[in-house]
Amino acid sequence: MKKLINIILAGVAIMAISACTKIDNYAGPDASFQGNIISSEGGNLLTSGGSVTIKLQQIGWTTPQTIPSKFDGTFEDSKLFQSSYKVIPTGGAFWPIYDTVVVKIGKDTRHDFTVTPYIVIKNFTSTLTGTTLTLKFNIVAPIAAGLPTIKDIQPYVNTTKLVGAGASIRDFSDVNAITINKEYTDMSDADKAITLTIPNLIKGRTFFVRAGVRLSDSYNSSNFSEIVQVDVPK
Amino acid sequence: MKIIHKLVIALSITVGASVTSCQRLDIPPTNIVTPDIIYSSEAGVKSFLATIYQNLPIEDFKFRPDAGGGIRTGSNDWENFYNEASCIGEEVGPFGGMDIANGFGYWPYGDIRNVNILITELPKHVATLTQPTVDALLGEAHFLRAYYYFAMAKRYGGIPIITTPQDPAAPLSQLQVHRDKEQATWDFIAAELDLGYKMMPETSDAGRANKYAAAALKSRAMLYAACVAKYGSVNFVDGQARSLGLVGIPADQATKYFQAAYDAAKLLDGKYSLYNANSDKVQNYVDLFLKSGSPENIFIKQYSIANHTAHSWDATMSPRYFTANALSRSYPTYDFVSLWGDLQVTNSDGTPKRFDNRAQLQQGLEPRLLATVYFPGATLRGLTFDMQRGIYPSFSGTAAAEVAKQPNSRSYILAGDTKTLYNGKQIIGFTGPWTGGDELTRTGFYVRKYVDYNKPQAAVDLNRSEQPWIDLRYGEILLNRAEAAMELGNSADALTSVNLIRARAGATAYSFIDLDKVRKERRMELAFENQYYWDLKRWRTADVVLDRAHFKGLMPYYVFNENKYIFMVEPELFNREYTFQKQFYYEGIPGDQIGKNPNLLPNNPNY
Repeated sequence: MKKLINIILAGVAIMAISACTKIDNYAGPDASFQGNIISSEGGNLLTSGGSVTIKLQQIGWTTPQTIPSKFDGTFEDSKLFQSSYKVIPTGGAFWPIYDTVVVKIGKDTRHDFTVTPYIVIKNFTSTLTGTTLTLKFNIVAPIAAGLPTIKDIQPYVNTTKLVGAGASIRDFSDVNAITINKEYTDMSDADKAITLTIPNLIKGRTFFVRAGVRLSDSYNSSNFSEIVQVDVPK
Repeated sequence: MKIIHKLVIALSITVGASVTSCQRLDIPPTNIVTPDIIYSSEAGVKSFLATIYQNLPIEDFKFRPDAGGGIRTGSNDWENFYNEASCIGEEVGPFGGMDIANGFGYWPYGDIRNVNILITELPKHVATLTQPTVDALLGEAHFLRAYYYFAMAKRYGGIPIITTPQDPAAPLSQLQVHRDKEQATWDFIAAELDLGYKMMPETSDAGRANKYAAAALKSRAMLYAACVAKYGSVNFVDGQARSLGLVGIPADQATKYFQAAYDAAKLLDGKYSLYNANSDKVQNYVDLFLKSGSPENIFIKQYSIANHTAHSWDATMSPRYFTANALSRSYPTYDFVSLWGDLQVTNSDGTPKRFDNRAQLQQGLEPRLLATVYFPGATLRGLTFDMQRGIYPSFSGTAAAEVAKQPNSRSYILAGDTKTLYNGKQIIGFTGPWTGGDELTRTGFYVRKYVDYNKPQAAVDLNRSEQPWIDLRYGEILLNRAEAAMELGNSADALTSVNLIRARAGATAYSFIDLDKVRKERRMELAFENQYYWDLKRWRTADVVLDRAHFKGLMPYYVFNENKYIFMVEPELFNREYTFQKQFYYEGIPGDQIGKNPNLLPNNPNY
């Protein structure tokens, strides 16, 4: 009986050792792809969560994948398979690009995209009076003709530097939106000088604030201002 | 001797084996039903049809529109509150947001293959089935095929039109079919329904289609196609699929489809009528969804406890207080209720109106509204809907000022359960609203439509509801007709149809009409019937209506020192947000299908 058990054990041991010896000989996802989304009006395109993504279509494969951009307009994915990809930036508030670029992605591949934003926020200032924050700025469209309707303009307020659509405190942000629903070409210069007011900020707290202009394009996407830090005194 | 023994054994094995084996192994399989059995009698074909009907994408009580769901046919599909209504502002419910927009990867080519087999086989069996029977069954098959294709066209736009059973042994290039254009898909659906109308008889068994079901479905489908052409050419997401016509229809085609919708709806003129059996307008509207043999029912789906197909509407639309088991999670919003106009809960100076009892709120409301939604103070199975959010020891000031306060600076008293008392008075009602869980109302309302009030409480359990789902009813057809007529500029015809609906509802008749009124009437009449989601999609208004949308409820409070009730309009208690992205007007082609058939590319814009 003991002998039998020993034989069985030995058999199991041999099987355990001999199994799983075949090594996966495919290369791992060791390629990386990074770069900037540059605004034609200077600097990187300022983005937010759920806005600009880089869409990659591996040649010879059916389903596309995406790299979300960071808030500063950069993007990076360090776990891609080495291959040629058709790439295109999509989903943000810029004039759509229809022509994909073929990029051979290997180790540390870099590529920058240049896009033309729908709207640029200029002369952005913030003034704190008591607990009321006032944001003033002008909106300028690099290309006015055919611009999607401007839906609304709103502040985004958060307690971290990650502030934007989907990362903001509703009671300070969405509720202080102003509705526009106008064509850019129908707006007067006075209409394009925007003032946003955020009342009742909490004393003794630090907030990070920016403004966004939302357009009625395919994505209902927004152009953003830079992010400013606001320290509300006690 | 031994040798002889062995010889005998060997011989008997050989003889025995050769006698018993090879006995006609080539017999028809005994465990599957073969075509000659099915097509030898009408009963045989009926049994085959049953499967096709069972899987039909009827968006009924059990239909669950998100990735975890789909067309439900079993007895464990009891969570009837996972519905479209709770993502689009008719109700709030279990979904945390717009969770249904990517669908559930519906791709019913297996079912379509069954119909295709039927359509190919039936003409070969005229001798046994007779020509009239074959024609009627073929008409039914065309109706069913259109039904399946409609369910895909409204989700994906253009899809591969496959009309014959594919041979699995055919080369891959033939099996990997390309998508057809969206317009071709809708034209195919129209042609199929025309065949159904032409070939089917005037009447049918309950649960099966007749020629008018085909016409009714055609009015629904053509209205969808017309709106895709008219509104989809204004509000769209650009992409390769669109430039190829796989999604989208040229705007100049809209009139043709509106006319087709109108003509199809008109075919039912005089054949069906609105349910008007009871002179009590509220009771009449309640019974419309519960009484069998209603002249309004065109096509229904039936359920049976014995066959394990019963649904759970009664046990999941009302809270546990009225049932023997389970929980509710479907709560009509104040936004929906106020389609009928704001409820008179506030005085002209902005202070909340004082009510002696909560049932007073229902006075003067339209019967249809009262029959669609259970209000605070309404009764069911001998019990009262006891909605009370909390108690104010005293209340002064306006409702608006009170609601605008931060919750911790409001002077109300709330409680986590019904046992907590304030000076001997129960603080929250037995039926909510409360935030401790999701099983009591968050809006102050419950669903009444389709709820079987006659069922004794002990019998209201999961998988114990058998009232049929009315998939096509004449009320919808009148509204289809009115909308198509309005779009075609025939407002007189639209006015007549809408006023028929309003008369039955107990509402005052309109003296003039516009498109907004037609659409609003549709929302009110077809609420919770899984229509409005598709209406929002075809009108291309979903991204506007559901743009970071929050919905409201009506919170009843007891004012202790006055011994009165007040109602205040407040955000629903979870205050969830709903946003419909423009790409959602079409769902993406399911990824697993693209994996099998790359010819389905390009995918719909933005997927």
